[in-house]
Amino acid sequence: MTEIRGKARFVRGQISTDDIIPARYKHMYTDPADMAPHVFENRFPELASSFEEGDVLIGTDVFGIGSSREQAVSSLMALGIRAIVSPRFGRIFFRNCWNLGIPAIEVDTSRFIEGRPVRLDLTGGYAIIDENQGISFPPPPQRMIRILENGGLLNTVLNEAAHSRNGI
Amino acid sequence: MSTPEPLVERIIDQHSDDAVTPGALVSVRVDRIYVQDGNSPTLARLFHKHGISSIREPEKVAFVFDHSVLAPNAAIADRMKEAAGFAKELGVQVMRRGDGISHVIAQEEGWFQPGTIVLGSDSHTCAGGANQSLALGMGVTDIAAAMISGETWLKVPETVWLNVVGTPHPLVRPKDVVLHILGTLGQAPFLYKSVEWIGPWAAALTEDGAASVASMGVEMGAKCVFLPPRRGRSSSVLSPVFAPDEANTITVDITGLDPVVALPHSPSQVASLSDVAGLSLDYVFIGSCTNSRLEDIEEAARMLDGKAVHPDVHMVVTPGSQRIMEDALRLGLIGILTRAGALVTPAGCGPCVGAQGPVPASGDRVLSTMNRNFKGRMGNGQAEIFLSSPLVAASSALLGRFPSIEELKA
Repeated sequence: MTEIRGKARFVRGQISTDDIIPARYKHMYTDPADMAPHVFENRFPELASSFEEGDVLIGTDVFGIGSSREQAVSSLMALGIRAIVSPRFGRIFFRNCWNLGIPAIEVDTSRFIEGRPVRLDLTGGYAIIDENQGISFPPPPQRMIRILENGGLLNTVLNEAAHSRNGI
Repeated sequence: MSTPEPLVERIIDQHSDDAVTPGALVSVRVDRIYVQDGNSPTLARLFHKHGISSIREPEKVAFVFDHSVLAPNAAIADRMKEAAGFAKELGVQVMRRGDGISHVIAQEEGWFQPGTIVLGSDSHTCAGGANQSLALGMGVTDIAAAMISGETWLKVPETVWLNVVGTPHPLVRPKDVVLHILGTLGQAPFLYKSVEWIGPWAAALTEDGAASVASMGVEMGAKCVFLPPRRGRSSSVLSPVFAPDEANTITVDITGLDPVVALPHSPSQVASLSDVAGLSLDYVFIGSCTNSRLEDIEEAARMLDGKAVHPDVHMVVTPGSQRIMEDALRLGLIGILTRAGALVTPAGCGPCVGAQGPVPASGDRVLSTMNRNFKGRMGNGQAEIFLSSPLVAASSALLGRFPSIEELKA
């Protein structure tokens, strides 16, 4: 869970959560799989259908500004996205990524290469680009790693509640 | 004098047992939670998936139905029904469709008490900063976790003080100033931060104006914002501190600033009104949690009084709440608007997100008073959306095009 391997997929420019998933779909559907075909449909039509299981999204500017909809994260996850790396994030989108169990890593992305392998080591605080270049980032706090390991915030909170009920 | 303790740190400290310093991750107790109708159906799904059937303090939670007041299709109608049933199971407060926008209701109902921590499942929850509440927009998983545990996790933000000085053009409204700041500084100075608005301009804002400014905090990229308390309010102990840390203070001089508009497709893409004067428009919308309060409706009605909306313009006005609707009716404002040819819809978010009508047509040039104009925002990626104050929007509706500053005066 603290190491992620995938393929770099760039999404360039400032990206809003409206770009990721237009609002009306979250009013129509609750299953992320139903929203997934509409990801980026206004801004980058066809992009969503090219994503593959294990892809790592690479942003170039602020990623995930605007609406609080976590459906922006869950619909990307439904398309196979397993991590997002960007120089900056919209703060609610950033939270939503970790809360749903995928890491959002703030790091300079100018050296990543489209379609090439990416390895993220969260506890070590570094990314390996195309199996040869390293770039470091501050390792996320233990508390956030724990959320990932639990498969998201809700599982974490429910586990903690169960533990305190059982007096553990 | 030492650096003043930022308001956000004082509020977090009162809600946490952890050490509060910027950058620290802390747990805080939550005072209030509200959920809007685009997220309550997903919340219900999460609860059912995880087998959760009750919450810690239902009396602190409210469900608001504001984005799809008039359900535009069967899928949305079905989701709203699920959400309403779920709210009943939980025993939380439920607002009716047409009661208004969650953030406007939150202000009217007093959910944003100074010094409280309020979570809303909508990014514009930051509007509560007008009432010195640490009001945070969050996704539904965060909301679900807070409903179960009574707490949430926060990274204590750094604070930046935004000192606005000078006197702009008399027809500049709060919206113009926020757009101007976004256009000139972008999000970078505010991203993740707590923004304390200080200085004479912020202090002189009306209650409606302060709420409008606070609602745009998310457009600035801020974690939260705080406006000074309005005169006569008793929350002066929680006023942004007017002795800021100079290194973290941004001073913006708005002397001589003219009205502005945001161009498609970003609220940070800002031009002076004179740069777009004469550009024709198809659709004008006055509403949203940024500009749907009585002051906004009044300004539009004054502009339209005894006149007619341009025949080529579709004009829609959506009051922010039922209370605003009733005040506007009592003052005769709704009659003025409808006689001029504007369509007045039930209170709520109106066409802001395209989760109800009217959706603009492909190729339409739209002028809206809402807070963001990302591509596809109103439900059609082929429309071009501009943003402005209600004053500029109402004048444009009459002319069928953006006015010059001279025409705006008239």
